Amino acid sequence: MSRESLAPPKDSDVLLIKKTSSFETFFENHIGLFLLLPIIIYFLVFLVYPVGQLVYLSFTNTKGVPSLTNLFSLATDPYLSSVAFNTIYYSVGSFAAEFALGFIVAFLLYFYRGRLSTFFRMSYSIPLMLSPVVSALLWLLIYNQNYGPLNYILSILHLGQVNWLGNSTYSMPALFIVNMWEYSPYVFILVFAALQTVPIQLHEAAAIDGMSRFQMFRYVLLPNIKGPVLIAALLNLIGVLKSFDLVYVLTYGGPGISTTVMSFYIYEEAFSFFQDHYAALLSLLYLIVMAIVVSAILKYTPIEREIGLKS
Amino acid sequence: MKNRDFILITILSLLAFLYLFPIYWTVITSLKPNSQVFTNPPMFYPSSPTLTNYYQSGSAAGAVAQSATGALPYIVTSFVVAAVTSFLSTFLIGAPSAYALVRHVRGKLWIARLILFTIMIPEIVLVVPFFNIITHAGLLNTWWALMLTYISFTAPFSTWILIGFFSRVPKVIEEAAEMDGMPAFQIFQKISLRLVTAGLIATLVLNFVNCWNEFLYALVLTLTPYNFGFPPYGAQTSQVYISSFIVVERSVAWGGLAATGVVTMLPVLILGLFFERYIRVGATLGSVKG
Repeated sequence: MSRESLAPPKDSDVLLIKKTSSFETFFENHIGLFLLLPIIIYFLVFLVYPVGQLVYLSFTNTKGVPSLTNLFSLATDPYLSSVAFNTIYYSVGSFAAEFALGFIVAFLLYFYRGRLSTFFRMSYSIPLMLSPVVSALLWLLIYNQNYGPLNYILSILHLGQVNWLGNSTYSMPALFIVNMWEYSPYVFILVFAALQTVPIQLHEAAAIDGMSRFQMFRYVLLPNIKGPVLIAALLNLIGVLKSFDLVYVLTYGGPGISTTVMSFYIYEEAFSFFQDHYAALLSLLYLIVMAIVVSAILKYTPIEREIGLKS
Repeated sequence: MKNRDFILITILSLLAFLYLFPIYWTVITSLKPNSQVFTNPPMFYPSSPTLTNYYQSGSAAGAVAQSATGALPYIVTSFVVAAVTSFLSTFLIGAPSAYALVRHVRGKLWIARLILFTIMIPEIVLVVPFFNIITHAGLLNTWWALMLTYISFTAPFSTWILIGFFSRVPKVIEEAAEMDGMPAFQIFQKISLRLVTAGLIATLVLNFVNCWNEFLYALVLTLTPYNFGFPPYGAQTSQVYISSFIVVERSVAWGGLAATGVVTMLPVLILGLFFERYIRVGATLGSVKG
């Protein structure tokens, strides 16, 4: 579509016409298709085929005969409601913690304009680089019931010791904290970057009007970063819905099934209980739920405009 | 005014402390001799720092993580897989597709939506089919298994990031070259690609970090369920190595494991500090790894 914009010369107008073989001409005329070939192959191999296999596995039994046994298992699965509840609890809790902290940190740093701002920005971004497994290792040391620094500080404050990962009341909040530590930097980066784009003239106008910092936050900054904040929120929500690694390493879904979220449940069904047909059905359902969430994101956030796909 | 700034700096420093403390704690744990790892009250600085957790020889792949040296083969696996995958998906898939979508193809919005959608698919959804495919291909517990499956998230991600970069390049230069009769592929290769060098670096770095940190596929394709033990190390990445000590083997030499953790996070920390600008770009354009 770039060609029309400049009103290119017709073949007859061009002075220099090169002789090319027919393949070269074909290649030249369909360059877009050739460049897209790798990703088309990718889509077929890594998306169409696996999803097809999910459908096939979902509606066959272990002998490969078409059947609805998996749907029956789904309807009678005694754990499914707990797992669904855990998934929602985990997602909402982690998301709220991540988002609140990242958002507040971005604004605090925005109001600070001193020499240390680069240092602060770096420190708030670092956890994002670490893998969930390494983060889990870090927090296992912090959460250690008898010798960890967290319980030590609590005991100094006479708040008693908490068995963070071994008690079903605290295991979920413990995961929220780790999620908050690891992924609030993500919200921070997005919101902080959005704040930088607020025009400086608005600041000057606000200063002349004698606005307080809170008024400025409420009436000048917030309305100007609504789009990116929405994107940050929804991308983060997807992140927590996907989460598997932290649960696997920190609690292994336990104690009991108190932290068994959907992705961990699918993993267990497939690789601990070897119910790969049932796991495929669960995966398919999960995929549909995610598809709905993603479509909502595309529809209700300016993400496509943000990346320059739509104007 | 001065007073309020003081409060702000105090809060910001406290936050920096909270973000950095877990990392600090792991580093000092790795520097403590094993007798001092768990003490009551805990030691907030190593009184007699030692490096034995890093180089102490011991059973490299035995039942207990002795030192970071034992994790070396796993770190090599992580590195090779991450490097090869990020290179291939950036230059062979991401760049051509993104360029084609921005410059040559109609209906790009729908293809781009499809790509965004695939980025957001949870890894767990594809794990059962991938496990079947890799098993049938006889590639379980090999580097190939990881490289092939990692492309499933690096390829759409690279394309997505590079779409953003290509669409910001002005068309005028390419159109000038086209007028001069330069073949379309050469325009892509010799002009457009050079104009998005920053984008290519960003994509490479982010892909590397994502592959290095990947856990689920590595776990399923190299550890469970057939070799839920240790040797031979095959194609386990250092993430899988660390997790298997925590999950399978509860009694662990924590000093050695902490050292392994430090060695595992070091490459991405260095990349993160050097390429902080690019990491921010990646975050802005929607890098979601859960």
